[in-house]
Amino acid sequence: MASFKALKTAVSLAPTVRALPSGIPHAPLLNLAVRAPHDAHDHGHGVEARSDVAPRWASGPSKVGSQLYSKTFASASPTLNHQQRFMHTSVSVKNANEVPDFSAYRTSNPDGNRALSYFMVGSMGVISASAAKSSISEFLQTMAASADVLALAKVEVDLASIPEGKNVIIKWRGKPVFIRHRTPGEIEEARQTDWKTLRDPESDDARVKKPEWLVMLGVCTHLGCVPIGEAGDYGGWFCPCHGSHYDISGRIRKGPAPLNLEVPAYEFSEADEKLVIG
Amino acid sequence: MALSNTIYNAVFKRNSVFVSTIFIGAFAFGIGFDTGVQKFWDSYNKGKQWKDIRGKYVQES
Repeated sequence: MASFKALKTAVSLAPTVRALPSGIPHAPLLNLAVRAPHDAHDHGHGVEARSDVAPRWASGPSKVGSQLYSKTFASASPTLNHQQRFMHTSVSVKNANEVPDFSAYRTSNPDGNRALSYFMVGSMGVISASAAKSSISEFLQTMAASADVLALAKVEVDLASIPEGKNVIIKWRGKPVFIRHRTPGEIEEARQTDWKTLRDPESDDARVKKPEWLVMLGVCTHLGCVPIGEAGDYGGWFCPCHGSHYDISGRIRKGPAPLNLEVPAYEFSEADEKLVIG
Repeated sequence: MALSNTIYNAVFKRNSVFVSTIFIGAFAFGIGFDTGVQKFWDSYNKGKQWKDIRGKYVQES
């Protein structure tokens, strides 16, 4: 009589579980913190007791019913390997309080190094300051008049063609310039004047570079008319617009003008034969 | 180093002295630099500039 053997095996599947917000399935009977049972270390040479792992009877997880238990017996023998490994590649741990010896890196000449450092800083400063000064002065020079403009701004007069006691009017920078070749009598008169009492006190020596040559701008200091030469009460110039009288040194003596006739910058050149104004 | 200590105490120790030394040094450096460049330029262009050949064309009267 053949025995009947049921081919069907009943399997109780776990119910579908819900997941926790962290994504882990909610399994209240499963202790996830427990260590997994140590595998038998099976490399084909059979199960042997390992010296570095506690044997099963000493500690470890076990399954009781439907729960996992992790139990360690207090009297379990120590299982760690106490053999010290003398061959290793990691750095040997030193005492943390031990400061490394930096004396090989220390300089033997701190004063010289300090002086050199400051010297380098100072040199940088010197070069920077020089560059800044050069930049500014070069930039300001671009605002100065160029050489051709300066050349046009000068006027050369041949003095040999002006006889004594004569006036010459030339144009310089759009303005008339009076040049008078004064006689010795006129020079004496201009010098004898008590100039300290004048409206614009100025000595004759301060107004001329050479006493026989009087050079001044022919613009009345009152309102800018051009005075007439060899006229007026003082033998000098007379402004017809409002009646200012200038003496033979160009100083204001009478009338509304407040100042003496202006003296431009000029110089004599080439053995006093020529006069350069400007 | 006695020399470096001397320099440090003379120049670098006080910032006022240090900064004024820098400014004076910049002034001197600018003058010296300009003079040196001018000298090099004149020697490099010797015989080409007007001041070198002026004597050939201008007779002092």
